[in-house]
Amino acid sequence: MSAGREKAVGSKIGLGLIGLYFAVPLLATGAFSFWEGGSHYGPRAYIALVHQKQLWSSLGLSLRLAVETILVGFVILVPATFWMNLRVRGMRPVFDLISVLPFVVPPIALVAGMTALYTGPAWLVGTSNYLVIPYVILALPYTYRALDVGMRALDLRTLTEASQSLGAGWGTLIFRVVVPNLTTALIGAALLTIAIAMGEFTFANILLFNTFAVYINYVGQTSATEAAALTLLSFLITWLAMLGVLLTGRGQVQIGGAR
Amino acid sequence: MAYLQLDSVAKQYGGKMVLRDVSLALRAGEFVSLLGPSGCGKTTLLRIVAGFESPDAGTVLLEGKDITALAAAKRQMGMVFQAYSLFPNMTAAENVRFGLRVRRQDGQAQQKRAAELLDLVGLAEHAQKYPHQLSGGQQQRVALARALAIRPALLLLDEPLSALDAKVRVQLRDEIRRIQQETGVTTIFVTHDQEEALSISDRVVVMQQGVLSQVGDPAAIYGEPENIFVARFVGAVAELPGRVVDGGAGVVEVFGTNVRASRARGLAAGTKVHFLLRPESVRLSQPGADGGLTGVVAGRTFFGALTSLRIDLPGRGSLTAAMPSAEANGLALGTSVAVSWDEDAPRVLTEQGG
Repeated sequence: MSAGREKAVGSKIGLGLIGLYFAVPLLATGAFSFWEGGSHYGPRAYIALVHQKQLWSSLGLSLRLAVETILVGFVILVPATFWMNLRVRGMRPVFDLISVLPFVVPPIALVAGMTALYTGPAWLVGTSNYLVIPYVILALPYTYRALDVGMRALDLRTLTEASQSLGAGWGTLIFRVVVPNLTTALIGAALLTIAIAMGEFTFANILLFNTFAVYINYVGQTSATEAAALTLLSFLITWLAMLGVLLTGRGQVQIGGAR
Repeated sequence: MAYLQLDSVAKQYGGKMVLRDVSLALRAGEFVSLLGPSGCGKTTLLRIVAGFESPDAGTVLLEGKDITALAAAKRQMGMVFQAYSLFPNMTAAENVRFGLRVRRQDGQAQQKRAAELLDLVGLAEHAQKYPHQLSGGQQQRVALARALAIRPALLLLDEPLSALDAKVRVQLRDEIRRIQQETGVTTIFVTHDQEEALSISDRVVVMQQGVLSQVGDPAAIYGEPENIFVARFVGAVAELPGRVVDGGAGVVEVFGTNVRASRARGLAAGTKVHFLLRPESVRLSQPGADGGLTGVVAGRTFFGALTSLRIDLPGRGSLTAAMPSAEANGLALGTSVAVSWDEDAPRVLTEQGG
């Protein structure tokens, strides 16, 4: 056997082992989710789950929060990242630092700080909308990075000046020129935000909102097989989001201004 | 009244003066090139006209109206950039229509104008292509069409050819001139390429370190440089040190030999001068007994129809002679030659630069 072939077989074995490491717990969870006691297997846990109103309300709440988080995040970050890349590139280290803060500050510290600091109207502080604030912060590293990479690939200065010389204002520039050229970055950021919002537990649990992750936890304490089924469901949602990120990034052509 | 008037425009970046007291007037329909080396301030001047930079001092007047503080978006100026600037998410036709959409023109009028402009730049068949499907030259043509679509008060071209390969450059250069003449749009063209500037401009503005070194038509810039910088920057020139011997008859001593130069007339005897010769003015012949300058063929560069010969003046520098290749072939390296010229050919500049 040649050295090259040995190497290829070696890497296949390595990949196989890693695959097993990830697959076995999932397969075991999957098998367990169909367990109905004794040697009986069937879809009872799934049927019981889909008949629970709380599942749909918590799923709906998490999805709504994800959409709100995406919108709020974009409204803040698209103009900010645009301006930083166009006019104040010297501020990049500051932006970079702020964007990684959610990795450094533990969620428990954030939530304690938030409850102490934020006051506001009842529609915000008194409702689940309040969660959008920490979710925007949690999604910040992903949203900022995706937007920054997208904008760096564009020759923003030339595109800005070209559109201004043609009479366009800032609004036209951002909505007709910048945003349409950031589709991939925006979709990537949005899907990552969905994954984060669907899985976030600490904030929702401490602030007593019944989101999807909180509901999974609750089910886990009351019915083991339903919890396994729900875990697979949440995996599926996250994976679909990741697949979306991969597919939108695929076949992307280097365009945008000209570098 | 000038169509565009720049009065005493000055600009500095971080304490460095980029433009000093620049005044310039353009007539309507004129094609003016700003020519100079990197960092001479030509692009800054163009960007001040476009409204992307504001001058620290001075005014910009368009048809007598002060536009110095007017935002770029309100100046009605079409601009083509050095970098490809088409909007990547729009087709060629949509790019051309962009300025008209911003102006909320009627949809059909937009389409008609875009088709007209794409036809003008020879890209009617590529209207539905996206920028990444077009070559660099085609992208710049679309950018030109887009800039012209809004019927600009001024067309500003910021080194639009510099990213293109040599052949496309020449084609597009000629096309820009044709289109400018057809549309009659007043144009400012920034370039560091003297050939480009000389070949398509009504007037050339040579810039150096933030000041206008010389303004004139291309023939004057090439043939009558007013200072040593312009002489050196525009075209090849042999620069020989000289001293006026007889200001009345126009005699200058160059390397110990008295030579005639009509432009030395009127200068005081003894004045030190730069004696400048264009390669095409230099004539080579068999060395004779007339006591003129002599040299040796020391190098040759073949350019196709023309060949350039480097003539070493023994111990005294060198000059270049350009001649038809057929003629140059008869002069082998090492051949001794007599160097001469018409007495009207040399440019004589005093060391003060005038």
